[in-house]
Amino acid sequence: MNIPFVNLAAQHAPIKTEVMAAVERVLDHGQFILGNEVDEFEYRFADLCGTANAVGVNSGTDALILALRALEVGPGDEVITVSNSFVASTGCIALVGASPVFVDVREDYNMDPGLIEEAITERTKAILLVHLTGRPADMDPIMDISRKHGLYLIEDSAQAVGAEYKGKRVGSFGDIGCFSLHPLKTLNACGDGGVLTTNDSSLYEELKILRNLGLRDRDDCVAWGLNSRLDTLQAAILLVKLGYVDEWTDKRRAHALFYQNMLRDLPQIKCPEEESYERSVYHTFVVQAHNREALRKYLSSKNIGTAVHYPIPIHLHKAAATLGYGVGSFPATERQAGKILSLPVYPELQADQLEYVVSNLRNFYQQAGT
Amino acid sequence: MHVPYSYLDQQFAEVDTYLADIRDLVRSGDFTLGAAVGEFERRFAELCGLPYAVGVSSGTDALALSLEAVGVGPGDEVITTPNTFVATVGAIVMTGARPVFVDNNEDYTIDANLIEEAITDKTKAILPVHLTGIPADMPAIMDIANRHGVSVIEDAAQAILASIDGKHVGSWGQTAGFSLHPLKNLNVWGDGGVIVTRSAELAERLKLMRNHGLADRDTVELYGQNSRLDSLQAVVGNRLISETHPITNGRIANAKRYDDGLADLGAYIKIPTRQPGVKQVFHTYVIQVSDRNGLLNHLEAQGIEAKVHYPIPMHLQKASDYLGYKSGDFPVCERHCGTILSLPVHQHLSPEQVDWAIGQVREYYSNKSGG
Repeated sequence: MNIPFVNLAAQHAPIKTEVMAAVERVLDHGQFILGNEVDEFEYRFADLCGTANAVGVNSGTDALILALRALEVGPGDEVITVSNSFVASTGCIALVGASPVFVDVREDYNMDPGLIEEAITERTKAILLVHLTGRPADMDPIMDISRKHGLYLIEDSAQAVGAEYKGKRVGSFGDIGCFSLHPLKTLNACGDGGVLTTNDSSLYEELKILRNLGLRDRDDCVAWGLNSRLDTLQAAILLVKLGYVDEWTDKRRAHALFYQNMLRDLPQIKCPEEESYERSVYHTFVVQAHNREALRKYLSSKNIGTAVHYPIPIHLHKAAATLGYGVGSFPATERQAGKILSLPVYPELQADQLEYVVSNLRNFYQQAGT
Repeated sequence: MHVPYSYLDQQFAEVDTYLADIRDLVRSGDFTLGAAVGEFERRFAELCGLPYAVGVSSGTDALALSLEAVGVGPGDEVITTPNTFVATVGAIVMTGARPVFVDNNEDYTIDANLIEEAITDKTKAILPVHLTGIPADMPAIMDIANRHGVSVIEDAAQAILASIDGKHVGSWGQTAGFSLHPLKNLNVWGDGGVIVTRSAELAERLKLMRNHGLADRDTVELYGQNSRLDSLQAVVGNRLISETHPITNGRIANAKRYDDGLADLGAYIKIPTRQPGVKQVFHTYVIQVSDRNGLLNHLEAQGIEAKVHYPIPMHLQKASDYLGYKSGDFPVCERHCGTILSLPVHQHLSPEQVDWAIGQVREYYSNKSGG
């Protein structure tokens, strides 16, 4: 049996006809730039998140950059975020000229609210939290802190479309929610794409101008913005996929539940366990594994693809050298980086494939005798 | 007769081959920096006669990434022209640098004679724009840049295959940014851009900068953008790139037809300038006219879609308020903004359509002179 870590071909095989029909509809009208499909996608995505507005952009990274720009975060400002994330959530802060300030994470891989206040200085302008792995961060205490200190709140929801905290969807808590529609995300374009959500109508207007070169209309440029538009072609494809995303998420959750039930008694593996207040969408299913590297090799020899999200915490990358952090700065993040392993969890996996993964995990630890 | 400005519907007349390519891509799932992007980059570099091309998400990003790659950042100044699309200036501002404007020539490109007086000790780069498909005066600009030790990034968004004495745009400066926006001469079906360079070092740096600074999946060298040409768009580009020469020749032929049909209307119309040895590729065919709004209305009534590129110069946009420029600072550019008009010149126009447009322009002015 062969179980690749990702399998986009399997996702597209059953919807290929619909996807191609959507592409052809765009060709029929030729409005490749900010065409009607972009408006419709924005409307439906806002509805999905329970927000008033959504704005389609070129990538999840650009969504973060535009959010910071719209909130006027720039040189001299500090933004509190986590080191346990994809690089984009820190890169966007550096790219607008502000300074990233990290706080450590909890066992759910998300920002530890108990550590935020000691990281706040008079230069702190915003908190940029990440709903990593498809799990919502612990929003109540984070919201309290941001209100108490008058900080903007940006939700990096790139991995968490549809995830819920106490029945409310991510992207609807902060000033702005930022989502990625990258091919490997749970709601994915066939190329790069991103979307922002907000309930604030003036931020909404600002974001629409900033993503389109600052143009209020064809001839009037009111601010220097980016060229960061969700392609109409991608929006049309995403509209097809919006019809499936709930079904796909349900399958991811069922796969996760299977792993949790089948691995719970295995002391060498620590599965993510959902809290009663949350609904994870399992963009990744990240376990902490004893003897990870040997396990990865073993699974690979059994044709089971795995990944590590992410092996090097952001504060230990070369790009972070000037920020003054080092080994030991964030013990939980660093400890997790050495143990975390992402198992395949995409919707198209079949029961026998999941069983194969589980039995090989168990075999490894039986053989290793550890 | 209808003379449309856009030609995209004609591009789809034989759309099945494109759709087959896209179907294959969807089947493969190779959506991000896939094989199609590598192929497009190789072919685009070859088209420009340069060793390296890097596909990015837009022409705007091509310029912004280029500027950053040569070290432009906060506190620096970049010299450009106010007669351009907003993206040129937006790209400079994205890097944190300050745009400094210099007036343009009668050919709508930067006036090289005015550049030196705009250079200060903060000047880091010159960003000439090959507007309308006319190359800026690159020999003069390179001479100035070399003497002052500043970089040159070419805004070649409108000028693929334009050249001076056979030397293509994009091959003069440290890098050049091209746009593949749907309305460009070589277009894709969404946003896209390309950077070309002869420097292996810059090409490597740009590849990092467009992809989160990732040297490999797990190693972050620097904080970079996410600015990748979509594989889906590269698939379209790989079909169309074979057509670049015929597209360009079609536009040049239509421009020549306009020239011949309008040249004797010198009292009302100034046709585009021509220079020996300069290949102009006519992204737009821009004429200067008297009574522009009257002519625009007349052409519109006759089904001819004329446009103005661009009615408001960059230094007078609201976004430029903080730069402190005012009306009168760039007299040539400001005069042009009030008189320029772009006639449809794309490769899908028939000689009859061009002749119809010529005839309607002539009719408008003959009516005027007649009474």
